Amino acid sequence: MFGYVVRRLLQLIPTFFGATLLAFLVIQLAPGDFVTRLELDPTQDRESIANLRQQLGLDQPLPVQYAKWLSGILQGYLGLSLSYKTDVWNVIGQRILNSMVLVVLATLMIYLVAIPVGVYSAIRKYTWPDRTFTVLAFLGLAIPNFFFGLIMLFLAVWLSDLTDMRILPIGGMTNEFLHLGNMTRAAQILFPPALLGTLVFAGLFWWRVQRKQAATFGIWVGLVLFGMSALLMLWPLLQGPGLPERLPYTESPLWARITNVLWHAFPVVIVVGTSGLAGLMRVMRGQMLDVLSQDYIRTARAKGLSERVVIYKHALRNAVIPFIAGIGGLLPGLIGGAGLVEVTMAWPGITPALLEAISAIDVYVIMGLITITTVLLMIGNVVSDLLLAWVDPRIRYS
Amino acid sequence: MKKLLALGMLALAGLALAQPKVFKGTEPGRAGGAYRVTAISDPRTWNPFVARETSSTDIIGLFLPTLSGYSPYTQAPEGNLARSWEVRNNGLTVIFRLREGARWSDGQAIDADDVIFSATVHADQRVNSNSRSQFILDGQPIVWTKVDQFTVRADFPKPYAPALIQGWYIVPEHIFGPAYRAGVQQLQALWNLDTPPAQVVSGGPFKLDSYVKGERVVLVRNPTYWGVDDRNSPVAYLERYTVQIVPDLNAQLARFLAGEADTFSAANADQVAQVLERIRGNRLRAEIFPNVDVTLGTNFIVFNWNSKDPFKENLFRQVKFRRAMAHLMDKKSMIEVALGGLGQPQWSPISIPNKAFFTDDVAKFEFNPQRALQLLAELGFRTKNRDGWLVNAQGKVLEFNLVTNQGNNVRERIAQIFRDEARKVGVKVEYRPIDFNELVRQLTTPAADGTREFDAILIGLTGGIEPAFSRNVWELNGTLHAWNLGTGGKNPAKVESFEVLIDTLMKRGATTLDQAQRRQIYVQFQKVVAENLPLIYTVAPAYNPARLTRLGGMFPKEQINSITGQAPYIETIFAKE
Repeated sequence: MFGYVVRRLLQLIPTFFGATLLAFLVIQLAPGDFVTRLELDPTQDRESIANLRQQLGLDQPLPVQYAKWLSGILQGYLGLSLSYKTDVWNVIGQRILNSMVLVVLATLMIYLVAIPVGVYSAIRKYTWPDRTFTVLAFLGLAIPNFFFGLIMLFLAVWLSDLTDMRILPIGGMTNEFLHLGNMTRAAQILFPPALLGTLVFAGLFWWRVQRKQAATFGIWVGLVLFGMSALLMLWPLLQGPGLPERLPYTESPLWARITNVLWHAFPVVIVVGTSGLAGLMRVMRGQMLDVLSQDYIRTARAKGLSERVVIYKHALRNAVIPFIAGIGGLLPGLIGGAGLVEVTMAWPGITPALLEAISAIDVYVIMGLITITTVLLMIGNVVSDLLLAWVDPRIRYS
Repeated sequence: MKKLLALGMLALAGLALAQPKVFKGTEPGRAGGAYRVTAISDPRTWNPFVARETSSTDIIGLFLPTLSGYSPYTQAPEGNLARSWEVRNNGLTVIFRLREGARWSDGQAIDADDVIFSATVHADQRVNSNSRSQFILDGQPIVWTKVDQFTVRADFPKPYAPALIQGWYIVPEHIFGPAYRAGVQQLQALWNLDTPPAQVVSGGPFKLDSYVKGERVVLVRNPTYWGVDDRNSPVAYLERYTVQIVPDLNAQLARFLAGEADTFSAANADQVAQVLERIRGNRLRAEIFPNVDVTLGTNFIVFNWNSKDPFKENLFRQVKFRRAMAHLMDKKSMIEVALGGLGQPQWSPISIPNKAFFTDDVAKFEFNPQRALQLLAELGFRTKNRDGWLVNAQGKVLEFNLVTNQGNNVRERIAQIFRDEARKVGVKVEYRPIDFNELVRQLTTPAADGTREFDAILIGLTGGIEPAFSRNVWELNGTLHAWNLGTGGKNPAKVESFEVLIDTLMKRGATTLDQAQRRQIYVQFQKVVAENLPLIYTVAPAYNPARLTRLGGMFPKEQINSITGQAPYIETIFAKE
């Protein structure tokens, strides 16, 4: 096993060089460079354009440019952005983090909803609820994300017209000013039900533990959701009354900033998560149906096991194996951003920055992102394979 | 004692602002309030020597001063940091007097050292500032020298008409000087986006307050600014200026419709309709001015006079051919279809909003396919072949390729309309959108023998107020002499007489100082271009500004123009509520 891991890691090195060289060539072989845009500006003369090209090193032969970039990479330096004149990491770092907010929340939502719904659909196939989920899944898969994003924006404007309150945000990730007063009052109203919910689910949890039963999935979800909300509301309850009604975002306390970002993320996560959710739900349903028709399930039922145990212990555990293998694949997705939704809903993620870099041919920003994604993709693949071997005793590497 | 106190107060007041600039607003304003706009992309830097795009310079212009600019009311030169000037030596020398008492936000005086230092750095070839071309006239440098602490002098190698427009940004020498002396790289690393905003010193109406990447730039009023209004109260009136970064135009519209942005420029008739509907439904207190002006940018078709194919080269050099092509442009449909009904036809090179130089009294080859056919017949294309294309006596088909840059919907539609009309009369136009960079390469990079590979390109250039700044397009050896390009900075090999005339007019226009004479020259220039059509102009998109009614100090409808915008100065905009 150890030998296998070492071999896999060694294989990453040539893959890395091959992938980055290919990416570099593809970017450079496209017509034009960072300076081309300026050639159509009547106020620029030949000399300053040639000068600029020389200064940015764009006049050097491609192998030299690649070698220079590579020597930087090996020292952990991603290069200098041509348009920002600063480290590439300064350009993309914060944006990757912003995108991660969306991707992590969307992934959580996808897994938390898709697996139970998929299982439910499989157990009750061709019933009304199953058909409803199927139709919804196809809708979710069919609607393009960026378009759904625009619909969400107009829904937000429409809702604020209807109620005269800003219920959903109109794009963006933060507000310029945070209404701490409103947040505190909302927390005062919402805290009691959240606390009550937490207590109810904690009680259920305790009750099942007393009867030597594992807590169900629903209890876990309820406990976490209500518990987290109640916890988050503790701060405005304690600090809120002493704070001014309104503060600029940068001067607000952390809890207010988190709440504000979560509020902005809510519609975006729904948009981002929909297609993934729909797809995963269908896959889960198919997997589950597959497993349920296996002989060992019939055996389990014949032994007289309860249906619960058959489904959750025998069937589900085998049906989720492909998803566990897919966890490694999530790694590059984490920094890859949420796609065009970020542009339509003005989320300051990595996609708008990447699109700008591509249209300006800011070579090193593009290369920086490709490098990070490539490395994570490679590591993710190794992790997936190892995880698979760990959960599935039928697979052994040597 | 009282007298001493009064004297002291006077001295202090004098120290604070000896010679402020008086900003004349459209109505009396009051201090306070916030102004929120949207921008399509993030700034790239706060460093004016590095900045190359409007997303950066639009913000830099709020906190760094320039010597002079255009008056928003008359378009004549108007002093900013320069209090006054004196032209000497038949226009070869200009002496600029600075405002004594002007200060940077860190308390240091803004004086001649800052101006001379900034000029030196902008002109430095190693720095490659975007403003560098403003320091070179026909290959010779414009020399800036300090006369005394508040006087600078510019010496021009020849008389230069735009000499009074000095719109490059002035930086604090005490911050940039040490970095510059340490090396160009150190200079370029200054004031990048990760510099704490408090370290970015202001000499303009606003001061950087905070920047959240991908979200917003917030500026606050600079209390040490050297401007006052006509009642001697300090400006800017606004306490806060926020630029929200919204990369999508529809999302920008949504912000404006929700009242979260104060101004908006509708891009098409559909957006105008959405704003109007909301105003009429009483859900937005705003005004919109559809088609109040057209934008400065131009769209034109240029034919390649340096074609490899001698038949095409000869054809494209015929003025009758170009006029025939102009007669095939259905500008009415272009406005209807490509611009959504909002825009104006353009006939000559100076943009319509540029009132100081624009003339409408030029030759107009209006849409007239019959006349086009007649002109083509005069060139020998009298019959049509079996496929319906026009051919000459030798059986050669009248055909050419037309390209424009992919993704520009307006240009793509204009090109399609032109192609359809041309094909109707038998001119075989093959239209294809291509990548922008590839298009620029074809246009600006001749092969070793001086030929270029395209037939016709539909493209646009960003316009400006000053015609002399477009000399690279019109002078014979210009880099953007797009129809007939020379190699290696030389004149083209074969030149028509009207091109020489344009070249002469451009050179005279740039060196004539008398405004009335200049207008004469540029009027003649427009006539020559419209007559000979080296570039065949199409249509200009409309300027459709909108704003919330909470803003004061804005232009009334008649005064709005796409050059200045919706208000004369940012300094005199204020919030009414």
